[in-house]
Amino acid sequence: MKVIDTLRRSNRSLLSAKARTILTALAIGVGAFALTLTLSASNGAERFVNQIVSDNFDPAELIVSADEAVFNRVDTSKPQEYDESFGEIASQAGATTQIKQIDAEDIEKISQVDGVDSVREGVSVSLKYLTREGQKKYVGVVGTFSPYQKPDLLAGEIPESLGNRQILLPEGYLSSLGFVNPEDAVGKTVRLVMNKSTGSSLLAQAQSEQGINISQESLMEFQKEVEFSEDFTIVAVLKKPVTSQPGTELYMYAGIEDTKRLNDIIKEGTPGFQKYSYIFVRVKDGENESKLIEVQNKLKDMGYEAQSVKDTQEFLNQIIGVLRGIVITFGLIALIASVFGVINTMYISVLQRTREIGLMKALGMRKRDVGRLFRFEAAWIGFIGGAIGSLLAFVIGSLMNPWITKKLELGDDSLLVFDIKQIVVLIFLLVLVAIFAGLLPARKATKLDPIEALRTE
Amino acid sequence: MPKEVVLIEVKGVTKIYGKKDNLFIALKDVNLIIPEGATVAITGKSGSGKSTLMHVMSGIDHPNDGQVLISGKDLHSMKRKEMDKFRAEEMSFIFQAFFVEANQTCYQNVALPLEIAEIPLRRRRTLVEKALGRVELGDKIDSKARDLSGGQKQRLAIARAIVNQPKIIFADEPTGNLDSVTGDRIVDLLFELNKTLGCTICIVTHDEELAKRCSMKVVIKDGEIIDLIQRKAVKTVTKSSTKKAKKK
Ligand SMILES: Nc1ncnc2c1ncn2[C@@H]1O[C@H](COP(=O)(O)OP(=O)(O)OP(=O)(O)O)[C@@H](O)[C@H]1O
Ligand SMILES: [Mg+2]
Repeated sequence: MKVIDTLRRSNRSLLSAKARTILTALAIGVGAFALTLTLSASNGAERFVNQIVSDNFDPAELIVSADEAVFNRVDTSKPQEYDESFGEIASQAGATTQIKQIDAEDIEKISQVDGVDSVREGVSVSLKYLTREGQKKYVGVVGTFSPYQKPDLLAGEIPESLGNRQILLPEGYLSSLGFVNPEDAVGKTVRLVMNKSTGSSLLAQAQSEQGINISQESLMEFQKEVEFSEDFTIVAVLKKPVTSQPGTELYMYAGIEDTKRLNDIIKEGTPGFQKYSYIFVRVKDGENESKLIEVQNKLKDMGYEAQSVKDTQEFLNQIIGVLRGIVITFGLIALIASVFGVINTMYISVLQRTREIGLMKALGMRKRDVGRLFRFEAAWIGFIGGAIGSLLAFVIGSLMNPWITKKLELGDDSLLVFDIKQIVVLIFLLVLVAIFAGLLPARKATKLDPIEALRTE
Repeated sequence: MPKEVVLIEVKGVTKIYGKKDNLFIALKDVNLIIPEGATVAITGKSGSGKSTLMHVMSGIDHPNDGQVLISGKDLHSMKRKEMDKFRAEEMSFIFQAFFVEANQTCYQNVALPLEIAEIPLRRRRTLVEKALGRVELGDKIDSKARDLSGGQKQRLAIARAIVNQPKIIFADEPTGNLDSVTGDRIVDLLFELNKTLGCTICIVTHDEELAKRCSMKVVIKDGEIIDLIQRKAVKTVTKSSTKKAKKK
């Protein structure tokens, strides 16, 4: 019998037992459904991570710190000895950890390293508040804009070199600061108000001179003394960032000269003056991974911690991989269960068609073709199940996508990314699984004795 | 009358069922020669071994001893593949219980032997139409077999048996499940096919009337041939035509 005729006959016999076929196929469909959704979710997650990383980091840059605490969890159960030259960061659950900082000397040393192109400090300025004429005061942070960031803008544009008291304002501040729309904000100024850190020592001094009860007036006086402000011009309004690092949604951005200057004013006279938790080191031809790793290793040998964008990306993707593995395991368990369904259905099919098989064999049908007839039948079940499952996953996923995206605040990106190639491979694998499940029943059919078969009434 | 050509030669065939203590000899040293174009009636009591003989002659059952020669070729020493090819191209079956596939159309039922014999698709339709035309089911070609009457089902089975123009048709009690009028029409049809297509027909039957119309009658008892009557084939034609006339 020709393969095409065998195929047609298997197809027909499945159609003549529609309910049975569909129910068996649905068991496979459940597995296909779970696997399709898992794969598409992890596609989306991976794409999302890569997007965050490439939107915010220069692949040719290394993030360098003097202390591993910047990148890793540190043991906060043991007391740390105080070191005046250390800065401090708040770590998990409010416990504070001192971290060793990078100073001018370190920067000088790192700049000299072979292969290093340039170094920029990681600075962010915590404001006392920001405001505008006739508006309320709001807290805020100004980050340093890196030329590799590619934020979406609602209005204005980012000049080639941001500086000269120019600032990028996030969408979230618009109405609070009294702007009617993004265009309205461009070209206007905002006032950034900060406190010099020396303020705390001045306050201590005043207290020791006047006793604990400082008069209200002198307190106001004193506040004026430590407070300083600068006016910045808004050059662009940032769309609510989707692929920013978490927690930086309301960051304003200014050029490195501005943030450094403000930071220096704030920190002047404190141990943290001109010291940084981390710096960005640009590597010559750092897009080339081997060059990047070469410099990374050199810096590590010098006792610094250095991480590339890739490291971060890989770390995040690893977490996604583990989650994916768990769900895939459940999908596979569903599949294994469905294998028994296929075996059962195929056995019933062989039993029901004992006479037909006997007749076909009596009429000279080859054993090989009889086996093929049932393997095709199993393959069809696998195909139908796979197609139904992944199609359903596709339809439901596509319908749910906008909702999920909104819930997770992913902006334009969607969590579920369907890859046709992946789905085709998945269906193909399911067909193989079904054929495997159909092997034993098909064997039973080929072994059938035509006389015995024709005797059954 | 030209000299008869031997089509099937059964030589000393013995068939034993069961094992050791429970042996049953279904065929005992059976010898039989069937010429080409013959109509053979195999008769005998139930359990005498008629079906067994037919299964051995068609190769779907294997004898414990002896040979079956078809056109001089030993059927049971053929390789599997060769035997399958032989069965697909040279012989066909009709059963008491029809064994048509109820869910399939008449076309699909009749096309089965053609598919097995790997006849190209474009030739199938005409062959099927011709075969169905012969059994007067031409207008039912796309009907489901389940919608046919008993007699129509057996005619469908006959169409399936003749579609690939086999040399030999084995029919095991083809009228056993039919009323006598319908049964007679089926038998008429078989004799007509024997005449027009020249195919050899072996019919297992309990019907003495039918046996009388055959060119050969083989009587089996307890696995042995106890009587063998040869007649001229011409008789059947006259008888069938008179019978038809009587009905009208
Ligand atoms: N597989 C088997 N195992 C044991 N005995 C068998 C087997 N097949 C047939 N027989 C026996 O062989 C004998 C002949 O069987 P067969 O089917 O040839 O009879 P038959 O002449 O066709 O009878 P009927 O007219 O009832 O169809 C019977 O007694 C039957 O019980
Ligand atoms: Mg019988």
